[in-house]
Amino acid sequence: MAKKSSAPASNARQAKIQAAQKQQGGGANKIVVATVVLVVAIIAVVAGVIWVEQSKQDEITGGGNALPPGVSELGAGFPAFADVTPNEGAPTLDLYEDFQCPACASFEALLGPTIEELATAGDIRLVYHVKNFLDDNLRNDSSTRAGNAAFCAADAGKFQEYHDQLYAQQPATEGDGFSNETLTSIATSVGISGDALTTWEGCLKAGRYTDYVNSVEEASFQDGVRGTPTVRINGEEIELAAIQTPDLLKQAVEVATK
Amino acid sequence: MTTTTDASVDDAGTTRRDRGLDVVGLLARLFLGGVLVYAGAVKIPRPLTSERAVQAYEIFPMELAGWIGLALPYLEVVLGVLLILGLFTRVSAALSTLLMLAFIIGISQAWARGLTIDCGCFGGGGQIGAEETKYPQEIARDASFALAGAWLWWRPRSLASLDRVLFGQ
Repeated sequence: MAKKSSAPASNARQAKIQAAQKQQGGGANKIVVATVVLVVAIIAVVAGVIWVEQSKQDEITGGGNALPPGVSELGAGFPAFADVTPNEGAPTLDLYEDFQCPACASFEALLGPTIEELATAGDIRLVYHVKNFLDDNLRNDSSTRAGNAAFCAADAGKFQEYHDQLYAQQPATEGDGFSNETLTSIATSVGISGDALTTWEGCLKAGRYTDYVNSVEEASFQDGVRGTPTVRINGEEIELAAIQTPDLLKQAVEVATK
Repeated sequence: MTTTTDASVDDAGTTRRDRGLDVVGLLARLFLGGVLVYAGAVKIPRPLTSERAVQAYEIFPMELAGWIGLALPYLEVVLGVLLILGLFTRVSAALSTLLMLAFIIGISQAWARGLTIDCGCFGGGGQIGAEETKYPQEIARDASFALAGAWLWWRPRSLASLDRVLFGQ
């Protein structure tokens, strides 16, 4: 810019020469830089995917593939109140929940007792689908561990009580997860003791039902369940807004009873 | 000391304007690049959530949508880093703008079809209650990102860019 005084013609020529120099040798080669960027990006992506997969496997250690009592295959829901003989024409109520889902805790607080009342009376065939997708979102493993803990309690015949307590004692902040102390104190509070408690502890530690919970997560998603809680009566999804009170839920069940 | 064949470079007023526009370019790069890196970084450690967020749009077959959900966060981070560095600004900005337009189309079609989903733009996603949807806000937000991208697509020159250091542009 200092050569303002020189003739316009020579100025333009000089600019052209400078531009040419820059393109030839002055700057870096675009293709080389692009290649380096591409290689770095690919390495970063591959390393990232491996790391994510690795941490996913670390979370689920020693997972077993046992099926809870009354469940005949992976992916199927858990039939609650197995000792109750349902009335003739009683509809099946499928309940899809994640133990870390705050909306599920609200749902349970509102309608849990009614659902259990209906199930105890044989008015519905109650089936729980225990999901764990929130583990991924919340970056912990509490849904899977709580699911394991509940099905380990099922081995001791205490699924329902354990399930209810998990929602009653759900952490106030979503994502805090269930500590082992909480899971164990629930086990003792619902009456698992002695040898049964030792078995329960071993079952939880081994993650006996991890594969099962994962399979229910996958199967229910394939089945179109996109959120929790989801309620289906005889396979048909019920809008939560339509069962906002215990009476409305009872009505919905009555309508579905043949 | 830039060397350019632009005849108007000697005009002091234009140079100042160029510099001002270069600052705008830098801000656009940092804004869009920062947003992209953040959006990708939030999703990378949550692969299942990211898969399902894409699947919730019900545009692609389930399996394809799952793969898109896995790959998208990495694409966002790569584009974001390139924009922050100011490397291959025009290409990165063009791809980012198209990506944002694709997001806007995706959200719009979900809205039009009556789906009730969270856009999953910064993690999360999936089905939500009908009264919880935020389609207008999500579209407006993505439009602002697309605008920053379009600016850089049209005028990739900016302050403190690797393009300038490496290629003298």
